[in-house]
Amino acid sequence: MKIKSLLSLLALGLGTTAYAQDATPLQISGSVDTYYKYDFSKTGNIKTYFANEQNSVSLGMIDLALKKTTGKASFVGELSFGPRGQAQSIPNAAGAYDETENSFHIQNLYVNYAFSDKFSMAAGYMGTFVGYEVISPVGNFNYSTSYLFGSGPFQNAGIKGTYAFSDKVSLMLGLFNEWNQYSASRGVSSVGGQLMISPVKGWTAYINGLHGLDAYGNYSTIIDLTTAYQITDKFKLGLNAADLSAGDDKFGYTGVALYPQYAFTPAVSLGLRGEYFNYKGVSGAADASVAAITFSGNIKAGGLTFIPEVRFDSDKDLSQGFVKSSLAPSKTASQFSLAAVYAF
Amino acid sequence: MKFVSSFICLLCLVGLAKAQKPAESILPVDEHGKFIYYEVVNTKIPKDSLKIRAVGYLKKQNKELKYKSAQGDTAFVASGKIIINKTLLVVGHPSGEVLFDFQVEIRDGKYRFWLTDFNFIPYQRDRYGNFVASTSIGTPLENEPGKLNNSQWKEYQVQTTQYAKELAAKFKVYMASKAPVIAPSKEKTVVKKEW
Repeated sequence: MKIKSLLSLLALGLGTTAYAQDATPLQISGSVDTYYKYDFSKTGNIKTYFANEQNSVSLGMIDLALKKTTGKASFVGELSFGPRGQAQSIPNAAGAYDETENSFHIQNLYVNYAFSDKFSMAAGYMGTFVGYEVISPVGNFNYSTSYLFGSGPFQNAGIKGTYAFSDKVSLMLGLFNEWNQYSASRGVSSVGGQLMISPVKGWTAYINGLHGLDAYGNYSTIIDLTTAYQITDKFKLGLNAADLSAGDDKFGYTGVALYPQYAFTPAVSLGLRGEYFNYKGVSGAADASVAAITFSGNIKAGGLTFIPEVRFDSDKDLSQGFVKSSLAPSKTASQFSLAAVYAF
Repeated sequence: MKFVSSFICLLCLVGLAKAQKPAESILPVDEHGKFIYYEVVNTKIPKDSLKIRAVGYLKKQNKELKYKSAQGDTAFVASGKIIINKTLLVVGHPSGEVLFDFQVEIRDGKYRFWLTDFNFIPYQRDRYGNFVASTSIGTPLENEPGKLNNSQWKEYQVQTTQYAKELAAKFKVYMASKAPVIAPSKEKTVVKKEW
């Protein structure tokens, strides 16, 4: 009886396909990712976000996103489950960062209204507008992430308005809670903006600014440049540069990362990320810097992408706690990883 | 049991119909090896009326076509965009777009039009959960995708072909109509409470 009911529902579904094509369909998308990593010092040295478990076939996350547009109004709801989207993301369902919590993570939860072709407003919890890399592995070329990404912000809850002057220039301004939090503990405390310019076809640059209460309880200001240029159909160059200063001198960094990528075919690409990242010295202390170079391949088969990756990090100031296989301190670390990411 | 076997038969028929579709519904290529939808239409409508109608059509299709230019007095060019959807039953999402050129030429007693220069641009989900173009430079739809993405690429070609045929049909109806074509409004169903 149950099978009959199920088949009836399926038949009904097939029958209603033609009718449903007239309406704006509900968009369902997402991704699933898993990886293996091997650090050549036999310990999980490189601590940037994700791909951090040593000699283990480990889980990323399952990410599920819904989007619906009705006329000028739309919503996006995106949840993730799994280490990448739970304990390794900030915050979890309890609204706190806790490695032991086994919950889910909201990536996006907002509503949008397009008042016109040029002006729209969105309110809710949104992926941050700052930075080049994102939490979802589908949005990044490399599987491991940069020091710039790991320093956040990751998401901003708030309200923002975007005005497109033309296809080449737009401006976003918004008011936000403190970074990476579902709700404000000290009121709406941040103001941010993004100027998008596209000087030539294929080249887009975002100049971002955000000032307010950061994830660590400091009032901080971050200035960020994120840009990518598709120079030819095979070669793309990306750049991210950022500077963060905490007003009370408790935290700060400056970093830059370059992302050249070459597509041999639509299915096979090779990319490099070269990064320099400097932790600002607190209260007159010396700065500490790290440099990293990452080679990644992207091999696509339908919705599946394999990402083989080799990464070398240099930590001349011993700020990262790298160790050799003998556990003696080391100024370098290197790792190999192979990730599989399925997007649907 | 009968219900189950009927259902399986239905599924097989749907599957068969779908499987037969790609081979017979991909656009032909022109002398340069590019996909093309080409049609010559003979008509009794005067040349001036055809011209007005062609330009009117190209300028009214805000979402599908963008009027670009006139070449001389009787040829008109527009650029178009097709959104390729990955749809299963009533849900899905866009997986890319195909950009193309649309050209019309008018002569006495006939006109011809063609769609060509089809370029596919894949979409990628951005940080806000929206699907956006992942590159600004498209891949010609005629290109061989290689073994890895063969079935997906064929689907893009099939969807583009279907769209080209639909656009051609709409264009011909518009060109043949004396008055601007307005989609007929659906009749309202009135429910009477008499019993």
